[in-house]
Amino acid sequence: MHYAYHFNVVWDHWRDLAEGAWLTIQLSALAMTIGLAVATVCAYAKAAGPGPLRRAVATYVEVIRNTPFLVQIFIIYFSLPTLGISVGANEAALAAMVVNFGAYGTEILRAGIESIGQGQIDAAKALGLSRLQTFRYVVLFPALKTVFPALASQFILLMLASSVVSAISAVELTALTNSLVSTTFRPFEFYFVATGLYLVMALGFRAVLGGVYWMVFMRRQRI
Amino acid sequence: MSTCLKHLGMAILTVASVMLTAPTVSAESTLDKIVSAKKIRIAIDVANPPFGILDKSGQPDGSDVAVARQLAKDLGAEVEFVQVPSTGRIPALLAGRADVTIASISVTTDRAKAVMYCNPNGALSIIIFAPQSVKIKTPADLVGKRVGITRATLEEATVPKMAPEGTKIVWFDDLASNVQALLSGQVDAAAMTAFAEKTVADANPGKHLENKLLVTTAFYGPIVRHDDFELRQWINTWIFINTNNGTLAAIYKKYTGIDLPPLPTF
Repeated sequence: MHYAYHFNVVWDHWRDLAEGAWLTIQLSALAMTIGLAVATVCAYAKAAGPGPLRRAVATYVEVIRNTPFLVQIFIIYFSLPTLGISVGANEAALAAMVVNFGAYGTEILRAGIESIGQGQIDAAKALGLSRLQTFRYVVLFPALKTVFPALASQFILLMLASSVVSAISAVELTALTNSLVSTTFRPFEFYFVATGLYLVMALGFRAVLGGVYWMVFMRRQRI
Repeated sequence: MSTCLKHLGMAILTVASVMLTAPTVSAESTLDKIVSAKKIRIAIDVANPPFGILDKSGQPDGSDVAVARQLAKDLGAEVEFVQVPSTGRIPALLAGRADVTIASISVTTDRAKAVMYCNPNGALSIIIFAPQSVKIKTPADLVGKRVGITRATLEEATVPKMAPEGTKIVWFDDLASNVQALLSGQVDAAAMTAFAEKTVADANPGKHLENKLLVTTAFYGPIVRHDDFELRQWINTWIFINTNNGTLAAIYKKYTGIDLPPLPTF
């Protein structure tokens, strides 16, 4: 048995692949931004909110972190229309990614918040900072700096996990690769190239996040 | 140091050349290997009723599976099923994970560029169906409607060509997701085999699903890799014998409930 490779077929379809990769990038970046906001609110609620809210956030985090991402996607995509909410595949995919990243982000931020010593918070109180000011300047900012590498890793995992949203017909990189494989019958060529594209996107995002870290945390510290 | 590197380089080259040439040097055909090992690996798709399903005890069943079992028995080989999704039917064969795929693969000229067809062993129709309330009488009515199809199927090869511009085609990785999308209202209509449609409609009487359009009727047959002529010829011989003795017709009737149309050969 031998297989003749024809990589020129891939070149013929580079526009499709680029389109798929672009949707993957958009979904991932948007999900990270909104998901980080969700995580911040949840982490604050978990650290300083009233009892019932704390329990609600804890339940959300545990349910999401202990169920498969694919099942979460199916539930959002297939069950929302029965509740009368109409969502397209891309919106459902984004919602699932936000919900997923939000839960993991909450846990990661919680670890960062717990690393802030009580003395710092007492000092903020002594300086007359309000509760929200204390959270923003004394707790959240240093906490974010501590857990930034963990958040970046989680984000890369989210970007790679986005490959399963092809199951609900969102046309991102994996979905387009599957379509091209099934119409050109060149599985190895397209899967190799898709693997390469994911690798490039992951390394690219890592570099961008490294830049963000430097801009937000390191530059400011030097002043 | 440099001689050490040179030796290493030679070793890598030797291993690489052996790996590259070994498959072509081997004179043993896939059929020879099957006969001597008394084992045949057959790729099947068990998510495609009534051709491939899992029975109540989780065992593969369906018309393709029955054909595969009978073929292996007559070959004197033990069958090892390689379960693949519809998108994996051709890749599993090309990757060498299976010797033959028997998964109701309709004969198309595009697929024949990648794999070699044996003679057809059955026929199927692709239809577009939808709930009663969705108005589809002619292909022109598809404009603006979301039509679900499954990747790597005959409907993927035919529906985009017959649907007028403005039809929103929605691709799913497997039949189950396509069906679920129709039942939950994520698509207005779905394209699949008439047999799958009947299974879905019977299981969901409350949805009032009905046939809207006939897309195409096609013959399907087993596929092998491009250079496996011996295996293809043996399977064709088997299909010839079992067409004439009525075995194929009996299997088809048992699972689909309709008579097998006369099978052409090529």
